[in-house]
Amino acid sequence: MEVKVLEAEGNSVRFILSQSSPAFANALRRIMISEVPCMAIEDVFFYENTSTLDDETIAHRLGLIPLTTDLDSYVLPEECECKSEMGCSRCRATATLEVEALDGRKTVYSGDLKFDDPHIRPVSDKIPIIKLEVNQKLKFEAYAKLGTGKKHAKWQPVAVAAYKYMPNIRINLKKCDACRVCVDACPKNILQVEKDVIVVVDPVSCTLCYECVKACPQDPSAVDVSWDDTTLIFNLESVGGLSAKQVLFKATEILKKKAEEVTKKLAVKGGKQT
Amino acid sequence: MPVRCFTCGGLIGDKWEEFRSRVDGGEDAGKVLDSLGVTRYCCRRMLLSHLDILDEILEFSKKFTKGSR
Ligand SMILES: [Zn+2]
Ligand SMILES: [Zn+2]
Repeated sequence: MEVKVLEAEGNSVRFILSQSSPAFANALRRIMISEVPCMAIEDVFFYENTSTLDDETIAHRLGLIPLTTDLDSYVLPEECECKSEMGCSRCRATATLEVEALDGRKTVYSGDLKFDDPHIRPVSDKIPIIKLEVNQKLKFEAYAKLGTGKKHAKWQPVAVAAYKYMPNIRINLKKCDACRVCVDACPKNILQVEKDVIVVVDPVSCTLCYECVKACPQDPSAVDVSWDDTTLIFNLESVGGLSAKQVLFKATEILKKKAEEVTKKLAVKGGKQT
Repeated sequence: MPVRCFTCGGLIGDKWEEFRSRVDGGEDAGKVLDSLGVTRYCCRRMLLSHLDILDEILEFSKKFTKGSR
């Protein structure tokens, strides 16, 4: 297996996974979406809420705010030694918020949340939570916990985790008369004419739409599009709580742990380890 | 304004106010979305089709919250 990183900027990573299989890429993808833990607000205790939205609606909005996650300092509440419903300092971070609109309409932002742990904070301080009219007040305490996307989408650390097959575009030069029809038909502009010959400039961007094959006036078409399912182009974009790199590393770690568990259990059942 | 995109879960809530003020200022909505880094069409429609109805609810609630709570 080989990995070649194409782009890595901010929260997104794009890489080519070669000499692999769709099954493996899909295992990674599914773990990233539903099993890599991240932080989100889970419990909210309202002390005062005279706003126009009810407690549940505000709590739901709070849950969706992506929080920076520190996977080394926190454990999943299910795996915590405290076994308490409310959690302890190992499995939760506390946030408080108190805003009252005194002179004029006021927007409450994610930045108004005050966390006890400085490592946990909203990814962006500009997410509007609610607007308050004069004299309306909002005061609550919230517990942020680790969780996985399996239980609720608010714990999903990635917005995009997807892969596609490596396209293979071949042009039959014996039949092709460089009429340019396929060049104009391609929605991703990956074909170009160089010295009266059609060349494929950027095969990675191809979406396998077959527009070039269909557009070719030759019969049968001079353009042939196929794919290689052992080479996968993986696209990953994190929501911001964990970086795309952290998500990828954590996902491989989880996959490894699962595989090890299977081997261990098989060894116990089979009696013999090879 | 929804916090995240309904389809992909990407964060869009924090982009709303800038989007709104720039579009109100006469900029082309598509170009504003490009500059905010909102590339997928699922996320773009979140901002394009949003109506901040809370403003109208607040107008109504003013009558009841005046003075005391
Ligand atoms: Zn605990
Ligand atoms: Zn989206």
